[in-house]
Amino acid sequence: MSAYLEIAGVNHSFGGLQALNDCGFAIAEGGIACLVGPNGAGKTTIFNVITGFLRPDTGHVAFRGRPLDGLTPQAIVRAGIARSFQNLRLFADLTACDNVMLALPERAGETPFGALFRPFATARADRRRRGDALQLLDHVGLAARAADRVRNLSYGEQKLLTIARLLATGAELLLLDEPASGLASGALDQVMALLRRLRGEGKTLLVVEHNTRVVQQIADEVLFLHQGHLLAQGSPAQIIADPALAEIYFGGAL
Amino acid sequence: MDYLYSYLILAEIYVLLGLSTNLLVGVVGIFSVSQAAVFGVGAYIVGDCLLSGTLSFLPALALAAVACVLLNVLISLPSLRVSGDYFVVTSFGIQLLATATFTNWTWGTGGANGMPGVPPPDLFGASIESTRGILALTTMAMTLGCLAFWLILRAPFGRKLRAIREDELAVAAAGKGVLGAKVSAAAMAGAFAGVAGGLYATYLSFIDPSSFDLDASILLLTMVVVGGARTLWGSILGPFLLLALPQALTLLAIPTTYAATSRQLLYGGLLIAFALFRPQGLLGERL
Repeated sequence: MSAYLEIAGVNHSFGGLQALNDCGFAIAEGGIACLVGPNGAGKTTIFNVITGFLRPDTGHVAFRGRPLDGLTPQAIVRAGIARSFQNLRLFADLTACDNVMLALPERAGETPFGALFRPFATARADRRRRGDALQLLDHVGLAARAADRVRNLSYGEQKLLTIARLLATGAELLLLDEPASGLASGALDQVMALLRRLRGEGKTLLVVEHNTRVVQQIADEVLFLHQGHLLAQGSPAQIIADPALAEIYFGGAL
Repeated sequence: MDYLYSYLILAEIYVLLGLSTNLLVGVVGIFSVSQAAVFGVGAYIVGDCLLSGTLSFLPALALAAVACVLLNVLISLPSLRVSGDYFVVTSFGIQLLATATFTNWTWGTGGANGMPGVPPPDLFGASIESTRGILALTTMAMTLGCLAFWLILRAPFGRKLRAIREDELAVAAAGKGVLGAKVSAAAMAGAFAGVAGGLYATYLSFIDPSSFDLDASILLLTMVVVGGARTLWGSILGPFLLLALPQALTLLAIPTTYAATSRQLLYGGLLIAFALFRPQGLLGERL
């Protein structure tokens, strides 16, 4: 049986820097896998490779047994994989609701032709989309901020909004780049609860996370990346207990 | 009365150009400083067709629109590769190239002497000679343009265009195509400018390169900045206001030799003042 998401033999260099070095791992469907490793380990780079934003020098990515090599980011979203960004990349001038609506899958009436020549059908379709978007906002606890511009949301609310936007794509595998970083404890708990809830709803999550406390609390499985290579994969307890990994992670501070 | 009509006709034509510029620069964020060049191509095509008698007004206008769609898509293409500041430089070059062509291609444009004697517009065989008739025509064109702009902005397609201006990569990550949307917007902006050019040529019956030079492109940007980006009302107010100002200046009894200079001074001053103190324009958003 082929793995749910499988990465094999991926190499990629930026100039002289080898960001990914024979990187390979597989994750199973369902559950939360955390990708950890020191800065520069290649965590975001492998996200870019999986989601089609970066074409690796060599190597393959397959999802549900289907190769994704050479697909555009759009095609990969349609295949069922969507990602968030560490620096959020929300549309700051749009409302929270518009941010989510934009990511809903395309339907009829989204072309300029439809907008011009079938305005009523387009408006009806858009009202339905607004309803869907509001539901998703409600799901992440942002229903009250739907009509607010993103630039007026708090950082914690913006982080929740990136997750709502991710859900809007309809993808089943969500790649989250540091969803919990920079959050105060209240917002942090909210994000962690949301991630667990998504797992309960059948989503599969691959999460880049630095905070070991968060990793311990949410991860079903931990993948340890170092110098662009998968060093270890196991349960959170196994990985955190490994003194060699701690040495790498904390740079010999222990 | 004719004086008022003349102002209204020109303002309405410039509203079409304002919509074109606002769509491209304000909504999608393709910072073009060559929209007057596209306007000029539309004007010369209609002028040539009517002068030579090859086409009547509506087919000539359609031809100009199609040509300007293609041209605007073509000159917006670099924006898909080079971003922001670099595109401005590219676009600046395109504008200079266009002005040089308008000025030197004597056979096609009449060169620096201009193209005199463009016949008035005609509809279904009847020539529209009266100012009032032309006003009706430009009002209709402007209304259709405004309607199209409004429909686009309120549709999901408009939301996508706004999002592209903010962050193309995030649009791609949301599973949406960027290229097609940008090309469509450029095409629409081209059509607006082409139609505006055709109306301009037939109304004035004389066109020359000075209406389609860099100053004209910057005037269009000033209209968007003053009126306000990304709103219909901003796109309407900008042209009406900026074309009224020179008329107001004539009341100040400035000697005619200084009139043109004072107009440029006024426009330049407005552009700076709005950029510094009211970047969202009168009725819109920040460019």
